Parts: sequence; C-alpha cells; structure tokens
Amino acid sequence: MLTAAPAVILVLLVLGAALIMVGLQSLGLMPVFGEPQLSLNAWADSTSLLESAGVSVYIATLSTVLSAGLGLLIAVYALTAGRGGRLVAAVSAATIPIPHLVASGAIGLLLADAGFLARLFGMPEGFPQLVATQWWTAVILEFAWKESAFVALVILGSISRSAMALSETASTLGASAWQRFCHVILPLARLPLVVSGLVVFVYTLGSYESPWLLGPLAPEPLSVRAVRLFGSTQLSARPEAMATALTSVVIAVLAIAVGLLLVRRSGDRS
Amino acid sequence: MSLSRSEVSRRRRPRWRVRTVLPLLLGLALLIWIMLPLVPVLLWSAAGAWRAPDVLPSSWTADAALSLAEPEVLMAGVRSLGLGLSVAVTATVLGGLAAFGLRGPTPGGSPASTRLIGFVMLTPLAVPPFALVMGSNVLLLGARAPSFLGVLIVLTVTALPYTTYMFVTALASYEDRFEAVARTLGASPAQVVLKVRLGLLMPAIARAGFLAFLVGWSDYITTVLIGGGQFITLPLLLGSAASSTGGEQLTAALSLAMIVPPVVLLILLARRGARGRTSS
Repeated sequence: MLTAAPAVILVLLVLGAALIMVGLQSLGLMPVFGEPQLSLNAWADSTSLLESAGVSVYIATLSTVLSAGLGLLIAVYALTAGRGGRLVAAVSAATIPIPHLVASGAIGLLLADAGFLARLFGMPEGFPQLVATQWWTAVILEFAWKESAFVALVILGSISRSAMALSETASTLGASAWQRFCHVILPLARLPLVVSGLVVFVYTLGSYESPWLLGPLAPEPLSVRAVRLFGSTQLSARPEAMATALTSVVIAVLAIAVGLLLVRRSGDRS
Repeated sequence: MSLSRSEVSRRRRPRWRVRTVLPLLLGLALLIWIMLPLVPVLLWSAAGAWRAPDVLPSSWTADAALSLAEPEVLMAGVRSLGLGLSVAVTATVLGGLAAFGLRGPTPGGSPASTRLIGFVMLTPLAVPPFALVMGSNVLLLGARAPSFLGVLIVLTVTALPYTTYMFVTALASYEDRFEAVARTLGASPAQVVLKVRLGLLMPAIARAGFLAFLVGWSDYITTVLIGGGQFITLPLLLGSAASSTGGEQLTAALSLAMIVPPVVLLILLARRGARGRTSS
C-alpha cells in the first residue's frame, strides 16, 4: 500500500491542481492581470462552445465506430487466416508506435488535393476533397488508421489463446466459419472491444494534432479551440480557453460513465 | 460413380476458388489499409522533384535525409530521446511501485482503499492532455519550474495509468514462491529483489518502459504549451514542417526519424522476449 504513495500523490496533486486551476480560471477567479472577479463571461458564448463540443463528439464517435469495426476485422482475420493472419497481425502491431503527429502528416501526404491517392487514380476531375472538409474525413481516417491497430492489439492480446482453442473445438464439432465467428469469437471479443472503444473515444475527443493538421479552419473541435484561445494575446481569451478545456473533461467523464455501464452489462452477459 | 471426373472438378472448382480467393483478397485489402499511408512518406523522403499528376517522383535526392544531420535537428533528436527516456524511467518506477502497493491483501489496507487507489491511477486517462497542461501551466510557471521538468512531470502523470496497469497484470500471475525458495537457499533480501523479482518482472518492465518512452518521444501538445516553443523536440519540428505548404520532403524525413527508433526498439524487445521464452 505504501509503495503506491508517490504515484498516487503525484497524480492527485497534478490532476487535482490542474482541474481546480482550469475551473477557477474559467470563472475569472485567477486572471492573468487585474483583480479576480467571479464572472460567467467565458461561458457566455455558448453557441460557439456547443458547436465545438458537437464537432468533437462527432469526430470521436465516427472514429470510434470505424476503429472498432476495422480493429475487430483485423483481429478476426489474424485469428482465422493462418500464416496470412499472422502477417496482418504483425504489420498492424508494428504501426502502434507511430505517433499520431506522424500519422497525421502521412495521411496528409496521402489524401491531400494532388496527394498520393489522387495521383494513383490519375487525378480525375471529381476526386473528392478529403483534407480540411466539413465532414472531417481525413481526421477521422487518421484516427481510424491508428486506433484500429490498437483495438486489434487489445482484442488479440486478451482472447487469442481462448479463441483459438474454442474455435478449433467448434470446428471439429462441425461449426462453419460464420458460426465460429458469431458464436465463439464475437462473444469473447465483446468486452475487450467495448473497453478499447471507450479508450479510443476518450483519446480522440482530447486529441489535438490530427484535427489541427487535417481539419478545416472552422468550426473548431474543443482541443483546437482551447489551444488557439490559450495562445491568444487577448485577456478575455484565457478564461474561454479554460471553459473549453473543462467542457472536454466533462464530456470525457460522461463518456467513461456510459462506457463503464456498457462494460458492466457485457460482463454480466458473458 | 455416375459422375465423370470432369463434372466433379467443375462442381468443386467454384467453391474452392471462393474459399481461397476471398480470404486472400481480404488479407490484401487489410495490408493495403495498414501500409498505404506509409508509402507517400517513404517516396517523399527521397523525392527530388515530384510534380502533381506524376505517380512517382521524377528525380531522387538524399537532401531531405541529409537535412536530418543538421545540428538543429540532431539537438531536437537528443532532446526527444532524453524526454522519452526520462518519462520511461519515472513512469516505470512509480507505476511499478504503485502496482506493488495495489497488490492485496496488505496489512492496514482495506479492499475499498485498494480499489480507490486503482481508480485514482486511472483518472489521467479521463482528462484530455491539453486540459491537463493548461491547468498545470499556471502552477508550473508559479513554481518557476524549468520547462523540461514541467513537461516531464505532466507526461509522467499521462503515462502512469499505462505503466501501472502493465505491472498490475504482470503481478496477477506473479509467483511469490520463487522468492521464498531463493530465501531458503540463502539469498539476501537485496539478492531476492535484484535477481529474482526484477528478473521475473523484466518483460513487464520492458513493456511498461516502452509505452512510457513512447509518451515522451511522441508528445506534441504538452511540449508546445509548457515549453512555450523554447524546448524544441522532433515533434515540434515535424509539426511546423507538416503545417507549412511545400514542406513535403522535410515532413517525410522527420516522420521517418520519428518512426524508426521506436520500431527498432519494439523489434529488439520482441526478439529478446522470444529468446527469454525459449531459454526458460
């Protein structure tokens, strides 16, 4: 118990102090200059704040759904396709250490106007714009690319041993590939899928690099809005940056609460 | 045996084809999905001129790779390495200690307090990094902490959930009997910790250290906001190259410089892990 003290104290101190500071500054109680004065000015521009929150939740939701689907596909392929499956699993795992900043740059080189993908197709007239669109296509694809490998790794790490043995048994009992997927692998993968999906949602909600590099200038997700306001020279911007940051924390905590409910339910069922 | 041989093969062939071709196509599609984003990075890193409709560069050059040897870039690399290793050491040590503390049953520790500590160690996952940085920035400025120390503290907190739970899962299958056997064979307490405990936990230490290294090595937002642009690491150089127009070559070269070291480290760890399993 005692050996945990340094880590616990560090986390409580840094996290607690940071959250208190964010809260106080968003209420004007810790101005950069001048007298502290309680005010809700930072929260007054609620349309812009809500719009940013909406953009963030949109990006995080689509990224999570795509990552979970593709990650499950990679994991199932790795478990069922023999040597080819092992190759896909190894290559997918090798992308895990690639930083999101690098991945964002790479997706930019791939998907930009006149990027590598457009050139591969001979730059046709109607090639869709993917970077800096109102649908955040490139941002979501970057998250899906990086996080599907993460989801696959979590699923494989937690079920590969049991899934292999059980699916072999099912196979000797005459189960088809589809039956093995539906009745053996999917029930086993449900818990790691929900847990990794939750991690992906919270991560993409708070991520800055990808929407900053690959997103349109407006509207901004919470992370980009907060960082821009934080760096602004206007005095009124600092509390607004903190209000934006606090909003992202609230959404993340709500998402985790919902996610844990799902985990508990899927834990009960299996 | 009323069917002729050709009829049998005609009946069998379509099924055989679908069964082998479909998984092959799916595997190929997955490999393309995983590898495609890295292709333009590799091409741009060695491209001289590469104008719009061309699928491949029209000339090749080592300029971008050579620009990595400039003192400014090398210093940024050293800082990134230093930051990654520092976060690896602090987060692995603190996370390992925390996991030992979480291991019940302990004298004076109730299950409820153990659960509370486990919860606290996960809370950094719930706070977006930029929010954590903005809040702690005022305090770090107030304490006049050097920017490297400030970045290190915040990134250690970010990395702690990963390292702690890496050790928690490793300790779940840890056998205390090995330590008892070593003691009955006359090992001193220091020998037990160094030779038995650290030896048995080495795979977990390597995994936790690697994850924490990645947190420091690849961080962008914490270094930008706390360092205030004074503490220049590789991600900062990459960020400015990727956000400016016409910086494709430099973006690609810096990307490779950021990918190669951790991937090499991962392969080394995987090979050591494989050797450890076969020798034990």
